[in-house]
Amino acid sequence: MSTVGIIVNPNAGKDIRRLVTPATHTSDVTKVGIVRRAIVAAAEAGATRILLMPDRHRLAERAAEGLGLDGRDGRCSVEIVDEPLSGSRYDTIAAARRFWKEQAGAVIALGGDGTSRDVALGWPDAPLIAISTGTNNVYPSAIDGTSAGAAAALVAAGHVDITVVGRRSKRVTVRIDDVVVDGDKERPVSRDDLALVDLAFIDAQFVGARAVRDPNTVRAVIAAVATPASTGLSSIAGRVHPVDRWDDTGVLIRLGHGGRRVRVPLAPGSFTTLDIAEVRPLALGESVEIAGKCVLAFDGERDVPVSERGRVTARVDKSGPLLIDVDATLIIAARDRRFDEKQTTTPDPEADGAPHGH
Amino acid sequence: MDLPVHVQLDLHRRMVRIRLFEEAAGRLAESNRLPGFLHLYVGEEAVAAGVCGALNDDDHITSTHRGHGHLVAKGGDFNRMMAELMGKATGYCKGKGGSMHISDTSLGMLGANGIVGAGSPIAVGAAFANRYRGRGQVAVAFFGDGSTNIGAFHEAANMACALHLPIVFACENNEYGEFTPRDKTMAITDIVDRAAGYGMPGVIVDGMDVIAVHEATVEAVERARTGGGPSLIEAKTYRFYNHHGVQNLGLKYRSDDEVAMWKQRDPIFTLEDRMIENKAATRDQFDAIWAELRADIDAAIAFADESPYPTPDQIMVGVYTSMSGAN
Repeated sequence: MSTVGIIVNPNAGKDIRRLVTPATHTSDVTKVGIVRRAIVAAAEAGATRILLMPDRHRLAERAAEGLGLDGRDGRCSVEIVDEPLSGSRYDTIAAARRFWKEQAGAVIALGGDGTSRDVALGWPDAPLIAISTGTNNVYPSAIDGTSAGAAAALVAAGHVDITVVGRRSKRVTVRIDDVVVDGDKERPVSRDDLALVDLAFIDAQFVGARAVRDPNTVRAVIAAVATPASTGLSSIAGRVHPVDRWDDTGVLIRLGHGGRRVRVPLAPGSFTTLDIAEVRPLALGESVEIAGKCVLAFDGERDVPVSERGRVTARVDKSGPLLIDVDATLIIAARDRRFDEKQTTTPDPEADGAPHGH
Repeated sequence: MDLPVHVQLDLHRRMVRIRLFEEAAGRLAESNRLPGFLHLYVGEEAVAAGVCGALNDDDHITSTHRGHGHLVAKGGDFNRMMAELMGKATGYCKGKGGSMHISDTSLGMLGANGIVGAGSPIAVGAAFANRYRGRGQVAVAFFGDGSTNIGAFHEAANMACALHLPIVFACENNEYGEFTPRDKTMAITDIVDRAAGYGMPGVIVDGMDVIAVHEATVEAVERARTGGGPSLIEAKTYRFYNHHGVQNLGLKYRSDDEVAMWKQRDPIFTLEDRMIENKAATRDQFDAIWAELRADIDAAIAFADESPYPTPDQIMVGVYTSMSGAN
């Protein structure tokens, strides 16, 4: 059994940033097309079972419609897994967990950095191909569904060794200790969380429309990946202290006066000037503690409010998902003649004495 | 910078005014004291409040059959609203319009509308006039998910974009067109997917979060006011009551679990909890606001009760216009 799981975040690529910047809108039709191409290619490349995350937009259902992949007569089967729907990011987390339980050999996730984060929350060691359909996409890449589907199936079937084409990615591991007030009583609360690209401390009171749009509210950023070729919060660090996806380091920056002043694309096609007070390279595992009231933004989206008595401990480590190199996978498969028809040689037209023609 | 506390309180006040007006109207309808259909806005308050809180007093809005919330959020007068719903001569339309034609042009509220989808072209007209006159006003068209299946919406969106008008299309996607789930009437889930087809940006916001709605509207209005053209905001929201009335016809087209799940996300209580956590307001402060506005509602009901019905000689007055007074 070679199982591929596919997740498509219906909400990716549609947030407020399309109003304030020329960020791309990713329609449902576009997403359905990518998933459909991935299904066809995965079946073609040897997947025997393809599991799809259910979603309220019925993207999975529409992507699989009419393909006839019902598992009969040796055909691949396509199934939409039976999970309760919330219409929120918890659908992604639940699907990733389910794929783990079903022993999927590879997962394809369509979305932005936040979608990949949710996959990692559901299945920390997921063998993952992350396809960008979001806004500031550092973790996922622009990969066509056809290539992604084929690579996922080749890995899931064991035709290409995951230890050769899969690389462990980094993440920011986060611990939040806080106090909540219930009427007259106070009680301590703690939670663990993670980001795959960056954790930002935002001077805000509300999660609101989620995207971090006001540069003046960014207090600090801890980045596992910080490339000047990206947009968003990680690009702040990327423009003063680049950290590659595969470097064994991270970086902490604190915003404020007294240091460098840089121009940063905080959103696609939208630049702003920021003052960087501190740039601190972080060794893997090195712990950083930041206390005080803020809203934490995980991978670019405001998510968790922290009170003035809250304390956040974070570190960059190498415990993110296993990212599958699609190019490398397909090259190895080609060299191994995995794409050849079973009839391995082309018939020679002269062999039967047929005349040459046009 | 977060929203100043006075803005947070303003958004809260707009939502509570809507909630109390609608709850009162629902009670009156259930006891047969209001004639005609009544489409309640309870549950969707964050959309009207978040949007109207980002508008100037002279900006225009057009509304829907579920229009009380829009007028309240734009500053509508409780007395005249309640009188209109009761069909009294002191009402906004002198008692002749009722729930689905309620309007106050002095507040830029160009009318609720009993015809699904009919409000958007009116907003386009207002936006055209606003640009023509050069006063820097913006128009907002409120509409539901179901109305985007109707030609008027598409014509309005196309014309607004072709003429690059100062307008915001504010979609209240509550997942049901009357009693029919959205997925039975359209092949797409997000109305925002339609925006690109006309050449305008579209964004989705949590319609149960007034801060999120307000943030998006501020940006969309700024864009429109400064010549950036139209945009579409899709607020994912939910009506707590039935399509019309409170009990409606007793039809079971939504599960109790679904309704209960959305009620847990009540936009007013969510904001109150967050503001208390942030020490931006206290429970006592909120209790006082509710009490003050309840008194306003009681006064409005008394005003409407005591008001006369229009007399027969007024039957043709205010029904047609000669255009001589248009401005």
